[in-house]
This record gives sequence, C-alpha cells and structure tokens, in this order.
Amino acid sequence: MEHKDVVIAMAGSGGDGVVSAGEILVGAGASEGIHGFMLKSFGPQIRGGESSCRVRLSEQQVYSHGDRIQIFGVFSWDDYRQFRGEMEFTDPVVIVMDTADKTNEDEIPLDSDVERIVYSVPITDLAKEEAGTTQAKNMVMLGVLSELFGLPGEGIRQGIRKKFRKKKQEVIESNIAGFEAGVNYVRTEVKKVDDIQFTFTEAEPKVLMEGNEAFAYGALYAGCRFFAGYPITPASEILEWMSRELPRYEGTMIQAEDELAAIGMAIGASFAGEKAMTATSGPGISLMSEQLGLASMAELPVVIVNVQRTGPSTGIPTKTEQADLMQALYGTHGDANRVVIAPADVEDCFGVGVQAFYIAEKYQVPVIVLSDQYLGQRKETFDQSALLNGGNGAIKQVERLTPSGEELEDYTRFRITDNGVSPMSFPGIKDGMYQAAGIEHGEKGLPTSDKNVHEKMTAKRFQKNKAVAEELNFIRFYGPEDAEVGVLGWGSSKGAIKEAVLRLNEEGYSVKAAVPQILMPLPTKQLNQYVESLHSLIVAEISYSGQFYRYLKGELQFGDCEIKQYARVGGAAFNVEEIYNVVEQEFK
Amino acid sequence: MSQIDVSETNIEYTVKEYKSDTKPIWCPGCGDYGVLSALYQAFADLNLPPEDVAVISGIGCSSRLPGYVNTYGFNAVHGRILPIATGVKMANPEITVIGTGGDGDGFSIGMGHVPHAVRRNVDMTYVVMDNEIYGLTKGQLSPTAHVGDVTKTSAYGSIERPVEPVKFMLNIGASFVARVNAGNPKHMAKVITAGIQHPGFAFINAVSPCRTFRGIDQKKVVNAQSYYLEEETDYEPNDITKALQEASSQEGLAMGVLYREERPTYDKLYQDLRNRAVAKGVPEIREILDRYIP
Repeated sequence: MEHKDVVIAMAGSGGDGVVSAGEILVGAGASEGIHGFMLKSFGPQIRGGESSCRVRLSEQQVYSHGDRIQIFGVFSWDDYRQFRGEMEFTDPVVIVMDTADKTNEDEIPLDSDVERIVYSVPITDLAKEEAGTTQAKNMVMLGVLSELFGLPGEGIRQGIRKKFRKKKQEVIESNIAGFEAGVNYVRTEVKKVDDIQFTFTEAEPKVLMEGNEAFAYGALYAGCRFFAGYPITPASEILEWMSRELPRYEGTMIQAEDELAAIGMAIGASFAGEKAMTATSGPGISLMSEQLGLASMAELPVVIVNVQRTGPSTGIPTKTEQADLMQALYGTHGDANRVVIAPADVEDCFGVGVQAFYIAEKYQVPVIVLSDQYLGQRKETFDQSALLNGGNGAIKQVERLTPSGEELEDYTRFRITDNGVSPMSFPGIKDGMYQAAGIEHGEKGLPTSDKNVHEKMTAKRFQKNKAVAEELNFIRFYGPEDAEVGVLGWGSSKGAIKEAVLRLNEEGYSVKAAVPQILMPLPTKQLNQYVESLHSLIVAEISYSGQFYRYLKGELQFGDCEIKQYARVGGAAFNVEEIYNVVEQEFK
Repeated sequence: MSQIDVSETNIEYTVKEYKSDTKPIWCPGCGDYGVLSALYQAFADLNLPPEDVAVISGIGCSSRLPGYVNTYGFNAVHGRILPIATGVKMANPEITVIGTGGDGDGFSIGMGHVPHAVRRNVDMTYVVMDNEIYGLTKGQLSPTAHVGDVTKTSAYGSIERPVEPVKFMLNIGASFVARVNAGNPKHMAKVITAGIQHPGFAFINAVSPCRTFRGIDQKKVVNAQSYYLEEETDYEPNDITKALQEASSQEGLAMGVLYREERPTYDKLYQDLRNRAVAKGVPEIREILDRYIP
C-alpha cells in the first residue's frame, strides 16, 4: 500500500547511533522536499545509555510527531524498555530487529498487543563484515529501512557523506558500505511481507531546524547582540548557537557563572543600549525572577526564554511540560508587568524570536518566551520562503525610542505618556544621564516611598501592557467559526490540536480551535468572540494543575459555554489521537 | 557595539558637575560621605565626561550612591553589581564603569560573582564601602564583622570568621587591589583615580565606619591603625607575597594600592575573539538559513 505519511522509530544504546541515523533520515527527506518531524529521547546517562528517535516523513506539511509508530527499528530490546511509555504502535507494526540482540521473534517484549510483522536482520554482523566496524550498525539499519519501505535512498547517501565530510575518506566509505550492505541484504535475502511503501513527489528542498536554533536565529535577525546564559537542559542549544554566531556579528555571548549573573548581565547590557537576552529552563527562571522585577521596574527591555521541562525542582530535565505558565505570568514579587509569548512550532520560534525583541524594545518591558523541550529540541521542516517573509506579519524589527535634543534639555527618563513608553537614553548620550533603579521612583528617576507616586508609576508601567494588547493579538484559529465545540491550547500543543481539529472537520464534526500566541496581555476581546458560538470548550494543556484553565477562567467571559479541562502531566507532548478522542467525546 | 559619540571636547569638568541635586540619606558621620566626595574628585581629576560614566550599585546604605552622582547610574537589586556592571562594560567598552556597594552586597549575597568578575578581569572599578555591619536594615551581622561582635543578629557574639576582603581579593588574583580610609578623602581620591586608570578589574576596599551601629570608636580605631604604603619608600605594589604580608599585617591597616598587575581585559580579549571569529568569513544574516537546507 502506498503511504504518503510514515512514522518510523529507532531504539538502541547510545553507541548504536540511532539519533544520528534519524537525523540523516529526516535530512534526506528534507533534501528531496519531503516534510519531516523528528523527536529524540535519551536516558539520563551522559554517554551510552539508551536513546531513541522518532521520524515522521510526509509529502504534506505535518504539524506533529505522529501518534503511532508504523515502523520500529530495534538494536536492543532492553533499551526499548526505557521508552515504552512514550511509544504507541499501529496494528500491525513492522519491526526490523538486529539478530545480535538474541531475542526470539516470539519473545519480543513489545508493550502493546498489536500484531507484529518482524524482519530479523544480522545488522551487527553486516556492519562488521561489510563496513569493517560495528559502529556502522546504524547505517546498515538505514539501508534496510530505506530499501524495505522506499525511503529516499539517494538523499540518505548524500546525508551520510555530508555528516562525515570532515572525517577521513575511509570513514565516509565505511559508512556508505554499511548503508549499501543493508540495501543489498534486503534485495537478496528478504521477502517483503508487509505492505508499507512510502511514496513522494520530489519538491524544493525544505528548511530543517530545531526550535532552539530557530529562536536563536530569530533573535540575531532581530538585532540581538548580547546574550548571557548558563547551561541547562533543554535550553543549552541557544547558548551554544549564540556562542558560535554572536561574535561574528560584533556581538557578545557570555557564559555566566549562574542564572543570577546571566540575567544581570543582560539587563546591564540593555541599560547600556544593546538588544540583550538570556535563555534558560524553569529552574533558571526561578533564579532570575528577582531581576525580572528589576527589568520591569527600571523599564529595561530584555528577552528571557524559558524552554520548559518537566518540573518541579529538577523534575525530568529531558522531557517536556507546560507547567511554568503561572510562573511566567505572575512570577516575581510585586505587581511587575511583563509580556509572555509562546511560539507554536519551529518556524514560529524564528518569528517569535524577532517579535520578542520588537515588543521588548518598543515597550521597554521584559518579555518572557515560553518554549518547551518538545519544541526546542525537535527537528521540523518548513518551506524556504516561509521564514523571512513571516507568516503572520510578525517579522518586524524596531529600534528603541531615544530622547530628542529638545527632550534632553530637561530629560525626564520615566515621563508619563499615553502608551506608557518614555524615551530612553543610555550611557554615552550627552545630557541623557539618569538613574535606573529597582527602587520605586518618580518620572525623573529619583527614589521615593510615596504611595501616590507608586500608584502613578505602576499604572504607567501597566499602561504599556494595554498598548501591547492593542497592537498585537495574534491567535491561530482552526475550523469553522460557528462551531459549537471548541478547543483552546497554547504553545507547542498547537500541532496536535490543529491536526486533530482538521481531522475532525474532515469527518464532519463541527469543531474549532484557538491557540493565542501572546499569553500576557491575553487577547481577551478576540478570545471572548471566539467563545461566543460555543456550547462547550475544552482547555487542553500539559499541566497537571491546569494552569491555563485557571488563567482563562479569570480572564475570559464564558456565558453559557461549558468549560472543561483536559490537563495532564508532562513527560510527553500531546498526541493527535489524544486530542481527537477528548473532543469526540463531546459529540457522544 | 553601541553607536556612541564619545565627545571630544575641551570642557574642564569640576567636582560640581558630578554632584546631583539629591541629598544623601546617610547618617551624620557616615564614612560614605567621604567616599562620595573622593569619587567626585577622582572623576574631576580624570576630567571624565559625565555621560561616559556609569555607576552601578546594589542594595545597602552605600548602594544609594549612584543617586548622588550626576552620571549614568543604576541602583539595582541586592548582590548583582558585578554581573550588571559586566553587561554594561561589554555592551559598550567606551564607558567608564564603577561599581559601588557595601560589604554585605559584595561579600555575602553577591559573593558568588566576585571571583568571576576577577578572573574575567572586567575593566571596571569596584569600590566596596566596608562598615562591617548591615546599616540599611539597621544593625545585623555582616560577613566582614569580627568574631565576638555583638549585633542585632549575633546577640551572643559572632562565632564566624570574617571575610577579609583585601586578602581575599589578592588570593583570587585580582589585578588591582587597594584599601582606603573613608576618613581620608584626599588619599582616597588618588587611589580611586589609579583604580579607574587601571586597565582591568580594580578592587578598592574603603573602610567606611558606621557611626550609628558601630559607634564613634570604629572611626577612631581605623584612623589609629591606618598607615600609608605610599609613605614607605621601599613598597612597590607589584609583589603578591609582599602585598599579602601587608594585607595580613598585625601592625595596622595598610592603606593604598597593595597590588597592581597589567593583564588583558575582558573586553579586549573579547574583541580579539570577535576578530578571530570574523576572520573565517561572515555570511549575511539571511544566508545563515542556507545552512539548514540539507
């Protein structure tokens, strides 16, 4: 049977190279214009240990990782056990396993009672014999998968050469030999008994990026030239990217001694006139919270990225969750204004990277970007033209408002204005001297403990949020406007929600979904309009305590609409089927 | 890098130009007044355009200082002077960056940042006004207080050995270490001037008595114990062993520059790094995208 959309997983120990194989596979697809999506998952070990990857290839644009694995390449069943909670399979599932594992076909410990079609292949032996090293096992596996299921073989060969281009010629040849050994084994020794045949039409190559890379790229594009951060999973890729790129564009990237220093440096650089940011995960945000309030009080632009992971405390650093929402919205003491924005897919990470700086610089506010592990560390394709054109008009660059010559004659840094934004000077500007302060201050910046001044200045700072709400309120809507059942989600949950709703619509269900991009200030007017047609609304989020649900309950008017929670713990992103089933219940 | 127009003028700045209109909230007799006037004097002696100076502080009595100076100032949160100052300096190396704070801000809550600013050799001057007490919060134990000191939070006398700032900074390799007596603004101004001129991280411990919570005796003891290294003909501040000996002297408190060493600054090293990064060729930012098309 022809398949235009396949989901392939591989599992093995660290040395088996399943993640490299997955990367080559999704890259091969992209080079031939096939859309792809790749997740990787690791055990807690630094090196070795278990690893797995999941690759979805599709002729059409895909929005999620694909729920059920159709093809499963296994080096070791022991290593599979680590991931069985994350893996669901189609019925039947096609398994390609290495005979070196010594597990009999009738003893496969698959955590699912689906029918199995099994190909046992001497993968390790072929690698040893044909490639001269067992290290080429992953290439043999790729060869087998490619030949059995019609995956883009030429692209894979190119991908192998590209991956090892900096290595010796022998290394390239050995890996290619491994791949060909897998292909030839299938041609000569295997009788195909499953019916999966991937088909695609070649098209213009796609861009293939990880969310963290796309965000960092967006920030650079927006003019960010100062980054300070501290390593933390799953956000370190942003720090690493900036370390390579910023110095090439006259910028500065500092690996700070801790997150307290990281945000302090970014705030200092912003005070000095630079577009500045930091990136971390939940634990780092906890440490930064005090200075988030400082940025709010001193009205200093700064972009703070939280690539969320499973919490609280250390939690599960390598897995995803959406449970830092309340921390982003309200974390830090006092009434501290801030803007919170959540990218929805990898392409959007770029756009939000640009937009975060637009908001921070234009409105002189701290902007928190809520990404997550599912988004930050996955690879996803999109069209080349999509990125720099900016699908939703968000790709806008801006320079900070500085005081005019006239304003500098009697400079009032925190002058009260209609939209709350006052011209901001920085060191080096003559007659622009002022004191930035975390202590409450009047319009001139002088410290005060006067309750009335505090009231006036708090209102000024929050006035900027009102202005943001008027200018920016992008929401992704799916499904017919007059639908009676709705879904509301945020951030990376967009993929599963969109795909589920589109599938339900195709099957005749009248359902619509909304995914707001800016969470603070929440576009309440537009969301209230969205709710108007609904009899019931499902708020879907990966947070056990239902943080988004609680937030919306306080912000929106639901009228007669019944509001329901679908809130679950993190550790894995939403599946399409999961959302589909929850929504379908509403029609029973 | 910011687009700064560092004005080349013939203006001669006097102490007056650096004074803001705000009156200090400090108690009568506070050592911090002396440090403030020494700072004005140092700025005037160096003829620094006020717009090219940024004074960064944290929280504490002494951290109120930027408000009294007519330059750029940043009165931030407790303990983060050094990261914020690092950010300012690295974003714009043309700016003269001064950190001013207290012993609690620097050597208790902010201590984690000290060795890192030192090892980076951030080109800034860090003046710690050390009164061995928490003054703003009205009299609690400081990390530089002595064993046996009775304060509001050490009712039975402190049992913790103090941080000794000068010894500590010498030991972690600061490239400029000095001690000054807040009661001697003239000497202090000279040392602060030398600190600002020093290319790299200049640490100045200003022994700044707190009359309110330490009583009149603290000032008397400091004055009696002070001796000036400049007056000792054979003292050259280039020998770390001698500097440590002076810092540990039982004879009294050595005032002046104890140690000085020229080492590449963080911003200069960073510019070298940028030059190396650029040497490999720099694509247009738009072209970065091509790397992600397999």
